Amino acid sequence: MFRLRDSANYLAAFLIILAVNFFLPRLMPGDPLTAIYGEEALVHMTPDAQEELIQRFALDRSLGEQFLEYCSALLRGDLGYSYYFNDTVSAVVFRAVPWTLLLVGTAILISALAGSIAGMESGWRRGKRTDRALLAGIMFLEGFPDFFIGMIMLIVFGVVLKVLPLAGAMTPYAGYTGLALVQDILRHLILPASSLALVNLGGTFLLARNTMVSILGESYIFTARAKGLRERVVSYRHAGRNSLFPVITHIGIQFGRMVTGALFIETVFSYPGLGLLIQKGLQARDYPLLQGVFLVVTVTVLVTNLFVEVLYKKIDPRLRPCISTTGRKLETTV
Amino acid sequence: MHINYWQEIRNNSLGRIGMIILVLVAGTALLAPVLAPDDPFTQTPDSLESPSAQHPLGTNDVGQDILSRLLYGARTSLATALVVAILATMLSLAAGASAGLIGGLYEKMMMRLVDAFLVIPPMLVVIIAAAYIQPGMIHLVLLLSLLGWPAGARIIRAQTLALKEKLHVRASRTFGAGPLYILKRHIIPDLGPVLTANLIRGARRAVFMEAGLSFLGITDPMTVSWGKMLYHALKYVYLDVWQWWLLPVGIALSLTVMSFTLIGYSLEEAMDPRLRREKHA
Repeated sequence: MFRLRDSANYLAAFLIILAVNFFLPRLMPGDPLTAIYGEEALVHMTPDAQEELIQRFALDRSLGEQFLEYCSALLRGDLGYSYYFNDTVSAVVFRAVPWTLLLVGTAILISALAGSIAGMESGWRRGKRTDRALLAGIMFLEGFPDFFIGMIMLIVFGVVLKVLPLAGAMTPYAGYTGLALVQDILRHLILPASSLALVNLGGTFLLARNTMVSILGESYIFTARAKGLRERVVSYRHAGRNSLFPVITHIGIQFGRMVTGALFIETVFSYPGLGLLIQKGLQARDYPLLQGVFLVVTVTVLVTNLFVEVLYKKIDPRLRPCISTTGRKLETTV
Repeated sequence: MHINYWQEIRNNSLGRIGMIILVLVAGTALLAPVLAPDDPFTQTPDSLESPSAQHPLGTNDVGQDILSRLLYGARTSLATALVVAILATMLSLAAGASAGLIGGLYEKMMMRLVDAFLVIPPMLVVIIAAAYIQPGMIHLVLLLSLLGWPAGARIIRAQTLALKEKLHVRASRTFGAGPLYILKRHIIPDLGPVLTANLIRGARRAVFMEAGLSFLGITDPMTVSWGKMLYHALKYVYLDVWQWWLLPVGIALSLTVMSFTLIGYSLEEAMDPRLRREKHA
């Protein structure tokens, strides 16, 4: 059930993001146009073009009017113009979005699968040697910054073993089509996606393990064992299935972290997503581009989190408002 | 919550490893001028040299001694960690404890703000802000502290709410103690373990974020930083130099982060009776 109250936090967060984007350049000392567009861009601009920009951002009017102008531009989908790419920011950003989504999506899939399976196995064998080894190994991995894991993978598989490509998302000018193209893209995806998955494995693993441990004390596990079911059946069909539930929510919460991690991984592998755009934007001081990427990424994270929260309330009956037998909604929730 | 956490960390093998690593890194940071064979800034024509007696980890692309830069980098990481952890925890304490003690509309507004901040990925805000401000060390530290408080504020508020109802706090209130006195004499001492855990988490995040930001090339070019060294080393990854340039720096960074993770984990284990029971089962 969608309620306005659920989304209030997200609305507030959205306003904060808008405020950051709007006020940051305008609070900088000096000419606001320089702050919005960066010095390098203005050097190449004619006075006429500058005058037009001042009109466009309503920079000669009050802050309130500027904000209205800013919001209406956003509503029109106008994120500004990137002088580095010589194209509208929205066009540049939306060319990069699919690559980041592919990377993050694959990484989430890998880390969710590997993390929950390893977590369930570990919890099932709590206190045994496998459990301890897995726990120590995953804690060890948690300590690595995302980009360093990426570099290690790059060195091992790209430089030393030379089995996988070093950079990019596909072989340029290879002219692959159909299946060959898919294969080429996958080959380029393996390293960045598994690096991203590796650093984010820990949370899922610990959660699956802890849930497994607590579920093993439930009486229905005892019953299943008493029926003489095989170990595999008890561990996966009875305990495992129920320990997946918190893992699913966790994946949603993790999305924001994954996207941030992807920005760094993309820099390491020169993967043509939003992270590489941020890096190029930073180097070229292309502020409209940076603002556009910032807005698109944060809003995507917000929407995903909101979606997961609403979905979770739908799935988990305990979080739903109580409905009495007469069909009337009760005041309190359990 | 009266735990001798120093004792708990020492008794926990993971915590002990973490402490040892942290002491080692802090030692290198303090003794960097003594240990470093060269000045970390001096550029020489001997670029990209292999390790030798003179340069144990070789030289980088502008002929600076890599080992010296590695040692000085520890200073940047730990100084950032220390200051950010303290500042962010102070902000968390101010926001969380005041919300818990004052309550009412103020508490509601404060918690809304915290929740809103929690759903925004902080790294992105730092990146966009840093792009405009082009921060030196001081601005960077302030920026990281300003974005690091919400998670801690939430935990501290919850603890404050629980502590507020304790008998000794009620008793002192009947004797006429004001909110500030209660905060100073009763709440803050009892928040000890929570604040310590918060400090460690803050330090870990600060090391992480400083490395990340300097990896992206946002921070002051004059500071020696592990993140920046990694970024430059990555450009020469196809040469053999990664063995003595990229790996040692990455390992130093990971060890530092890991030491905070291990200490934090052993502290959490000490504070959470559920985790403790599991260990002794």
